[in-house]
Order: sequence, then structure tokens, then C-alpha cells
Amino acid sequence: MKESTRMLLHYVTGLGIVAAGGLHLFTVFLTGPYLQNLAFSGGAYSVIEVYRNLLLAATLELLLIFVDYHALNGIRVILIEFHQGQKWEQGVSWILAVAGILLLVYGTRTILIANALA
Amino acid sequence: MFGLAEPLTSELKKALLGWFYPARYNLERWAYALQRISGIAVTGYFLAHIVETGNVVGGLSVWNVPSFDVARDVWTATFHFLENPVFDIGLVVIGSMLAYHTINGIRLTLTEFGLLQGRPSRPDFPYEPKSFTKSQRALFWLSVFFAAATAVYALNVFFGV
Repeated sequence: MKESTRMLLHYVTGLGIVAAGGLHLFTVFLTGPYLQNLAFSGGAYSVIEVYRNLLLAATLELLLIFVDYHALNGIRVILIEFHQGQKWEQGVSWILAVAGILLLVYGTRTILIANALA
Repeated sequence: MFGLAEPLTSELKKALLGWFYPARYNLERWAYALQRISGIAVTGYFLAHIVETGNVVGGLSVWNVPSFDVARDVWTATFHFLENPVFDIGLVVIGSMLAYHTINGIRLTLTEFGLLQGRPSRPDFPYEPKSFTKSQRALFWLSVFFAAATAVYALNVFFGV
């Protein structure tokens, strides 16, 4: 992927995080007593209810994708500013890409199981 | 190793000083250092958050999905384990860093697409960065204010201040 494409994605995912992360923080802090929202179940926006709500769970998945890319690309930017060279830059990119995919799979697993938990 | 020009430690020292010690430089450099520090910190929170929420539904045990009751008990135990002043202070700091990173990130996004840049002009002593215009500075200070406001809000939520 071209460097300019990677950075364009960095800004797009950044704006996506503002939207999806905003909704995530909104459901935790602004929809009722915060302790009730952080209880496992019981309230309208308690943990498991948020995962069971398809729209909110989808937002969490989007947030996961956005933050995953944004955070790991941010680390990549820092590491290729630290040192330059084709070997280093390609190595960093590959390792972070694999780490990003593993994180994405693990996080998606959490969302899917929590969504189906009976 | 890695084809570094100098030993890794001295390269690292140079990089860390250059990135995180902006005292000799201008305001834009402070914005850059803070963006980097807050980004790294929030990345740390993100990783911990993925691990923490993953543990509730069975962690790395791929084929053993826990029952509702087990998940509820793990969640509740984790919540009580983390419910202490040290962790709450950590959340206050992470929250304000996230607030700074958000607004300053919007400033950087506008910059990326060439907005709020001002007109090109000849660099003159004392070589203030011309691209760091009044509106750019306003957005930087707005991000600092937003970070402070978030810290106050978080202190109110966690400590009733």
C-alpha cells in the first residue's frame, strides 16, 4: 500500500474513532448511572445489553477496526521515524500488520461471543 | 543490528530526547510531543482493554466459551479488582490524554488536507512557523482546554470532586 494511502486511512479511521468512540463513551457515561452501565447486566445500557444490541455491537466492531488500524499505524509512523531503511520499514510493517490482524480476530471473538452469550 | 548508524541505545536516546523534550523548541513542537505521548498511552489502554474484555468471555481458551454466569462473575471480579484510586487516577490521565489527542488530531487532519495553513511567506527572524496560524494555535489551546475539562469530569465521576 502506498504511504499516502496508509496516511489517508490513518486520518479517515481517526475521524471514524471520533464518531464510534463518541457513541461508546456516550453509552457508558451519559445514558444513566455509570455504575449501572458498567454492571454486567440489569440496566438498559449494561455491558451485556450493549453487546446484545446489534447496532451498538456493530459500532463496537467498527471502533475495534478503526482503533486497531489507527494505533498500529501510529506505532509504525513512530518506528519509521526512529530509523529509515527498506529492511527496517518492511519488517516493521509486516510485524505490525500481523499483530493488528491477531488483535482484530481476538477482539471480534469477544464481541461475537458476548453478543451470543445466553 | 538493524543497520543503525550508531549503537541502538544512543540512537534511542537521541530519538527520545528529540521527540519528548520540546522545551528548546516552539509551541508546535509541544503539540507534536503531546500528540505522540498521548497516542502511545491510549494505545496501551486499547491493548489492556482488549485483553480485559477478552478475559470475560474465556480469554485464549479457544474452544471453551463460558456460560453467562461465569462471564458475569469474571466481569464483576475484574471490575472490583480495578476499582481503586490508583486505577481511577490512571483513567483520569488516559481520559484527558484521549481528549487532547482527539482535538489536536482534528487540527492535524485539517492540516493534512491543507486547511488553516495561511499564505506562504518569506521566513524571517525569529523564524516563527508561519503555518502554525492563529486558528491552528486556537485549536491547540482548545485541545489543552478539552483535556483539562475531561480531567475535571473524570475526577467528578470517579472521586465525586
